[in-house]
Amino acid sequence: MPSVSVRNLTVAYNKGRTLALDNLNLDIRDGEFCVFLGPSGCGKTTALLCIAGLLVPTSGSIKIGDQVVISDDKKTFVRPQERNIAMVFQEYALYPSMTVRGNMAFALENKKYPREEIDRKVNSIANMLGIEQLLDRKPAQLSGGQRQRVALGRALVRDPSLFLLDEPLGNLDAKLREQVRFELKRIQRQLGVTTIYVTHDQTEAMTLADRIVLMKDGKVMQQGSPKDLYNRPINTFVAGFVGTPKINFLECGVTAKENRPYFNFGRSSLPGSPSLKAKLSGKACVIGIRPSDFALADMSDPEAIKGTVELIEPMGDEILVHFMVENHLLVGKFDAADEDRVCERVAVKVDPEKLHVFDGKTGDRIA
Amino acid sequence: MPGQLHLTSKQKLLHAFYYLVLLLFAAFYLLPFWGAITTSLKSSAEVFTTSPLSLPDRPTLEAYVAALNHLKKPLINSIVVTIGGTFFSVLLGSMCGYVFAQYRFKFDNIIFVLVVSAIFLPYQAILVPLFQTIRRLGLYDSVWGLILAHTVYGIPMMTLMFRSFYGDVPKCLVQQAMLDGYGPWTIYRRVILPSTKIATVTGVVFQFASIWNELLFALVLTGYDAMPATVSLNQMMGTLAAEWNVQMAGSIWLAMPVLVLYIVMGKYLIRGYMAGSVAAT
Ligand SMILES: Nc1ncnc2c1ncn2[C@@H]1O[C@H](COP(=O)(O)OP(=O)(O)OP(=O)(O)O)[C@@H](O)[C@H]1O
Ligand SMILES: [Mg+2]
Repeated sequence: MPSVSVRNLTVAYNKGRTLALDNLNLDIRDGEFCVFLGPSGCGKTTALLCIAGLLVPTSGSIKIGDQVVISDDKKTFVRPQERNIAMVFQEYALYPSMTVRGNMAFALENKKYPREEIDRKVNSIANMLGIEQLLDRKPAQLSGGQRQRVALGRALVRDPSLFLLDEPLGNLDAKLREQVRFELKRIQRQLGVTTIYVTHDQTEAMTLADRIVLMKDGKVMQQGSPKDLYNRPINTFVAGFVGTPKINFLECGVTAKENRPYFNFGRSSLPGSPSLKAKLSGKACVIGIRPSDFALADMSDPEAIKGTVELIEPMGDEILVHFMVENHLLVGKFDAADEDRVCERVAVKVDPEKLHVFDGKTGDRIA
Repeated sequence: MPGQLHLTSKQKLLHAFYYLVLLLFAAFYLLPFWGAITTSLKSSAEVFTTSPLSLPDRPTLEAYVAALNHLKKPLINSIVVTIGGTFFSVLLGSMCGYVFAQYRFKFDNIIFVLVVSAIFLPYQAILVPLFQTIRRLGLYDSVWGLILAHTVYGIPMMTLMFRSFYGDVPKCLVQQAMLDGYGPWTIYRRVILPSTKIATVTGVVFQFASIWNELLFALVLTGYDAMPATVSLNQMMGTLAAEWNVQMAGSIWLAMPVLVLYIVMGKYLIRGYMAGSVAAT
């Protein structure tokens, strides 16, 4: 199974006025499950189309395995028919005149598989996706979620060297989505097929990905493992996009006391890690605090920040507490067992090492 | 009654008025047709003694038999020419439309405009060169000459029509088929054509009706052997000046195929004109 490398990929629409992709660079390893994550319109689909060969980029080159599929000078171009890629389109793209079975078998017919083998493959994938009773229907007679599963099944029956999946689970209900997600990951592991999966749902990205490529306005913001993105977001955009509930941001001034920096907002302040002191002095910055990084403290603790509780959301074994500190609404996630320690007011502390510190102007990570 | 509109008496009156006007129009349009039917069912003797609109005293099919005898060969010519011309113009027009709709190439828009501008060429302007070309090709007075002329003349219109139909086919369908490993020809045959059946029906009916009813090309490009029914009927008017019943029967013979086609295909046509040609993807 091949790796994919993308160099300086640029796609401009409207005679250069819209940059759908702006100098994109990617390296996806052999057998990796890579997720393109980003808000709507950031260029995820455009990137997939270029890799599939369905869109010729304005500039840049792409290599799949050892083969250059499009070179910088565009002299080399491997046609989509010859790239052995299976893609699930955002719009499903089911052939309206064919039955579900016909749709799933279409690509296999081209490869001259024997009829029995086609039937066997189609049936087994259909069973797995729970669409075996739909095999003789036409796409027009299916619900949105069923169509989506057929589109996914059509990709899975093939033996491609690369899967490109453009929001393949967007239309499924929560339960089905979880189930299909699990199956998908299992099949991908089993087959070891390099996969690029597009979504704007960060939970999906976190659970599926070996590597997340987080995009914004046609540029890669950060790529790395889900852990990397969660634990060391390189700027406020990444920090805000990854993780639920959303990270809390606070704009602060910094003062140094003794050997450690203090982040001040209003009359409250939070201690930072001593190692940061040198990097920060006097700068305005934004700190990010994950809701789960808040720890409950005693109201008497002078280091703790205190807030007024606005709302408590029970989530089973956890509670989400929305509280107001100095006109900032913050969210904390705590153990449900601690619910009685949260009354009208709450006191919280944060491990200084767990604070994410960003530059106040550029939003880039300082520490 | 549930589900029914309740109309005030004023609205009812207005509705009645609308219907009256529409009925008058319908009657006006159907009058010639009515005359043709009644006249064609009369015997030659009765035609002279009665008004054209009155019902026949003793309906008879003798005019139909006479007309058919006269029109047999031309009708066969018409059938051959119409089927051939329709087939080739729809096939080629649909292929051109597919290319213009789904592929981008150098000067594609200019070529498209050039092809389509032929629709606006007046018939008369091309008559003489057409005649000369067909004669040089040795196809004068042959059904093949007429088929060729109708095919060429039909392609621009069909290209325009099919391009707009195929433009509605989602691009991702074609892209999907490419990733499934297929080339343009298979994609056209197995993806585009089967998912736009209504477009094909619309094209066929349109071409069938225009070629079947066409007179001018037929008049210029055929002599006796390949003469289609429209020309023959026209000549009948000249030679059988008095036999109105036979002429009307001939007209009805001639109108029949197109009429049947419209009735059978009508529901597709309306859908084809009204909505997109592609079933849900
Ligand atoms: N054919 C086109 N012509 C002009 N602009 C386009 C075209 N296709 C895409 N764009 C623009 O390029 C940008 C990227 O589009 P793209 O479809 O790749 O976004 P996306 O990340 O897939 O979004 P979504 O999550 O909504 O599917 C958008 O700003 C879009 O408006
Ligand atoms: Mg998209």
